Amino acid sequence: MKTYGSEPGIPDPVQVGISELVVSEGDDTLKSYGLGSCLAIALYEPDSGIGGLAHIMLPDGDKAANSDAKPGKYADTAIRALLRRMVERGASYTAVEAKIAGGSDMFEFESFGDGVGKRNIAAAREELEKLGVPIIAEDVGGTDGRTVEFTPDSGKLTVKTANGDDGVTEL
Amino acid sequence: MKLDVNALGTFYRMAREGAGLAAGRLTRMTGVETQVGVTKLNFMRGTEIRRDFEDGTEKVGIRVELTGGIEGHSVVVFDRKSALRIVETLLSESDTDEFDVEEFDEMNRSAATEVGNIMNNGFVDGWADVLETVIDVSTPEFIEGTSGEPFFGDIDEAPDGGDLALLFHSHIGAVGTEIGFSHYLFPKRESMAQLLEHLRTSDGIEYDKLDGFDRMAEQGAEEVAKTATTLTGIETSVEIRRLNFVSLEAIPEEVANEKLVGVAFEFDGTPSGYLLFLFDEESAHEIVDAMVPMNAPGDEDGFGEMGTSAIKELGNIMASGFLDGWANVLDTTIDHSTPEFIHDIGAAAVDPVIIQLGENQDFAFVFDTVVVADGREFDCEIYAIPDESDLERALNDLDVDRIDETPTTAEFQEVENT
Repeated sequence: MKTYGSEPGIPDPVQVGISELVVSEGDDTLKSYGLGSCLAIALYEPDSGIGGLAHIMLPDGDKAANSDAKPGKYADTAIRALLRRMVERGASYTAVEAKIAGGSDMFEFESFGDGVGKRNIAAAREELEKLGVPIIAEDVGGTDGRTVEFTPDSGKLTVKTANGDDGVTEL
Repeated sequence: MKLDVNALGTFYRMAREGAGLAAGRLTRMTGVETQVGVTKLNFMRGTEIRRDFEDGTEKVGIRVELTGGIEGHSVVVFDRKSALRIVETLLSESDTDEFDVEEFDEMNRSAATEVGNIMNNGFVDGWADVLETVIDVSTPEFIEGTSGEPFFGDIDEAPDGGDLALLFHSHIGAVGTEIGFSHYLFPKRESMAQLLEHLRTSDGIEYDKLDGFDRMAEQGAEEVAKTATTLTGIETSVEIRRLNFVSLEAIPEEVANEKLVGVAFEFDGTPSGYLLFLFDEESAHEIVDAMVPMNAPGDEDGFGEMGTSAIKELGNIMASGFLDGWANVLDTTIDHSTPEFIHDIGAAAVDPVIIQLGENQDFAFVFDTVVVADGREFDCEIYAIPDESDLERALNDLDVDRIDETPTTAEFQEVENT
């Protein structure tokens, strides 16, 4: 599909919306905007430069009825789907590494219990550990929203927050 | 006529599927990469739809009549400029000469009609796939105008002034260009009632109760604007007000992708849910200036303690006005939490709410309101997102006679006992 009316050479970042996941390779940029309590999970395999980004909103897909249709919505099913698609593309399972960002707790509402962001972080950690994928960097929790950009080739995850001086962090 | 979440969910899937097919066909035809924006089921009143069309821009529409599985009218609406650009793209492919298309002559008109027709057919094919049925499409009509009248004034199923209609509404844009279009489906009431009946899997909600509740919510919104005017001295009014049925994921996508200032509440009762007031930064500063006369020093966020508490207080009083309106109609009490202040990217303020609701539901009714001021910065978007099962319970308990007692123009004799 060609893009009409834009300059060739600098492809726009691929947007990964809530409940979506995208697997890619090379210097494609995958981007998720405005993560509050949602969590961005980036997996990549350094040798092949194959990687993917998921923008999950809930912790537990195994309990949900529609997780087959929407694996990217849940931490556990998104991680498994990312891994499977990366391996299908030629990534070596044992070399895959993970970076995660997001999972803030923006509001202290009674109905939120311990915090909706914390639940997402815990679920991602648990599933990654179960599958033996090491988390090599993370920028999670707190009370600020984040926008992330991920490049599979370098495995670089850039995290921007809207507040303060520590605007940009590279993981 | 009754509806439930399952039936509306199927409608939503139809709208999504249709928009996807239509976008794909536009891409194939023109080579322009397209993107489907937010797709919504809107419950809108005739006056609000007309207001949508009266934004001062010239529009071009291609309209078809549907019979069979769904009966009604399907209209693809382009800004006139977008339509001309698309026609230009199509014609320049068959003709190497550079030329600017500025008017709709016969050739352009038929090219635009062709494009619109292919889009309409994309939508229709998507719906027919989801419903596993056949929908027949009439020959397309080309329409030009600057108000709603020429586009749907002459079709019976388009809602008159105060009637609440269920619309399928999608926006498709071309990546990296200004080209975009909206799509509206005006289904016939009987046809929609039949479909809802067929798709419904639970007792559901009486449509006229939803209508009545929405009418009352309208007063809540007016109350909010009045409160804002009293507190800030800025003359404000309700610009947009509608009830949407959307997938939870679509809600943050709708919020501006920039730093916003907001006040959030959880509310508890029948119904329970979340209420968010979001201001752009300029409006928030304007409000602080209006409410805090002394030039109080701001912190690094620029609002400071005084500013933050002024905005929280405004939010608090607006929230009470909004929710008291609901509670009165429903003859119940709805409590709300203390205000939570947020100054962050818009989507980040909304996602915690949809995550919490997402544990038990995939879709939400969103009461969407925009309050604006004439001549000054005051743009406030209000999202009220009730818990779905609570809302259903609240509406089923709603005493329609109670609404009759209050001054409205609702025509409740239309209630069908299906």
